Amino acid sequence: MDFIQKIVDLGPTVVLPVIIFLFGLVLKMKPGRAFRAGLTVGIGFIGVNLIIGLLVDNLGPAAKDMVERLGIDLSIIDVGWPATSAIAFGSTVGALAIPIGLIVNFILLIVGLTKTLNIDLWNLWHIAFTGALVSIMTDSFAMGIVTASVHAIVLLVLADMSQKHVEKFYGYPNISFPHGTSTPYILFAWPLEKLFNMIPGFKNLKADPESIQKRLGILGESTVLGLILGLIIGILAGWNAKEVLNLGVSTAAVMLLLPRMVSILMEGLAPVSESASEFVKSKFPGREVFIGMDSALAVGHPAAIASSLIMVPIVLLLAIIVPGNKVLPFGDLATIPFIVSMMVPIFRGNVIRTVVASTIALGFGLLLATYISPLFTQAAKNVGFSFPEGTNSISSLVDGAVPTTAIFLFGAKLGYIGLMIIALIALATAYYINKRPNKTNES
Amino acid sequence: MKKVLVICGTGVATSTMVINKLKEFFAEKQIDVQLYQSKVSDILSTGNDYDVIISTTVVPPSIKTKVVNAVPLLTGIGKEKVFNDILEALK
Repeated sequence: MDFIQKIVDLGPTVVLPVIIFLFGLVLKMKPGRAFRAGLTVGIGFIGVNLIIGLLVDNLGPAAKDMVERLGIDLSIIDVGWPATSAIAFGSTVGALAIPIGLIVNFILLIVGLTKTLNIDLWNLWHIAFTGALVSIMTDSFAMGIVTASVHAIVLLVLADMSQKHVEKFYGYPNISFPHGTSTPYILFAWPLEKLFNMIPGFKNLKADPESIQKRLGILGESTVLGLILGLIIGILAGWNAKEVLNLGVSTAAVMLLLPRMVSILMEGLAPVSESASEFVKSKFPGREVFIGMDSALAVGHPAAIASSLIMVPIVLLLAIIVPGNKVLPFGDLATIPFIVSMMVPIFRGNVIRTVVASTIALGFGLLLATYISPLFTQAAKNVGFSFPEGTNSISSLVDGAVPTTAIFLFGAKLGYIGLMIIALIALATAYYINKRPNKTNES
Repeated sequence: MKKVLVICGTGVATSTMVINKLKEFFAEKQIDVQLYQSKVSDILSTGNDYDVIISTTVVPPSIKTKVVNAVPLLTGIGKEKVFNDILEALK
């Protein structure tokens, strides 16, 4: 164990490239290619670290001054999913997330409890995320691994359950979304859709996605949004004009640079991910499966974009008025399309319903993101992201505000039994939808 | 030189995979193009400045540029048709 600890202590910028390299060799990649892939991932990681530093150094003091001046306690900075995914993959549990995801998927396919063959290995960061938080919370590596495994099961089952929406609404036949952010929200949208249908008047409300997009489109451009947020927060912090303008450009820069850095990380991961998906596919030749993909395929839908644009100001308002919230929404204001993308088909493209549901979901989501912030900040420190001591806490909406994060954290508080209960419910559901006699394909 | 924009939902994940494949493809065919990477909500106002958009996500109808759906490059099913469509669109 001492040896493993020494390796882990090298930090993710060293460990991650080595793991990617070894994993590439296992998948029979050429050593040179695997080596470059690993190194690129390490470089991406350093890039993410730099930009988080830029964000925390600039937005951190502004948020603090705003808190002191106005008494709105929004001291936890939402660093957004790009940073979150890097932190998740860089954690000790996260390093194993890809193998765990593959193994869980293999087993469920073999026993016939899922039809989804997930080739979107990148998004296994979601299971790495819950795994990392739980392992920090319980101080147990094993609990983290079990959490990640159960989370993988849950996402595959949810992907199967929602596949018909992906096919019918978004028009992607034989594709499902085992996506950690988007797909869990179907559990939220289903009962709400039933409820909305019962409310007279509300039932018939509609909004036109195209005109919303025309009016609010600017809020979808992350750099412009970053600039506006920086300026507003600077002004609220009582800073002078020079400081406000500088803050605005810095926050705009973060919005552009952070995803770019993660895209470097992704560039390294892509060849490995491809080799892995070829390997996975070669194990199940000729079998009728749903290909598990990133829900990014769906977020360009006009109804998803329109709902997300309206949600930007709503989330900011929620952050101020929801009692107990301390999260300052920032990075993930650009990720809202992922939160709404699987609710949209359930509400049949109705923007108003999607917005109402997202408002409820994110109202609670902000509290969840506040609650997990100490664990999240610890996870970030563990992977070597630097924070001035005691000054800043961070969190994110994706996946900090996602219902599954709550399910796993509170499940893990009960110990293994809690996680087992979640697994059993997921497997029973899988059995019901896949093995039900007579109605196999209708669910 | 033709301007080719590759987009996905984030400008990070699937568009990176697609752009890597396109780089190989264009190098092999010896076609000179300028590749740009972005995300769908960032191009609502600038999307019409490009010659072709290659996308792994749904592109809103307000964009009038020719769009090629690149999802098959990710799933591996129907790859050839995508490459042909791209060549056709670049003509």
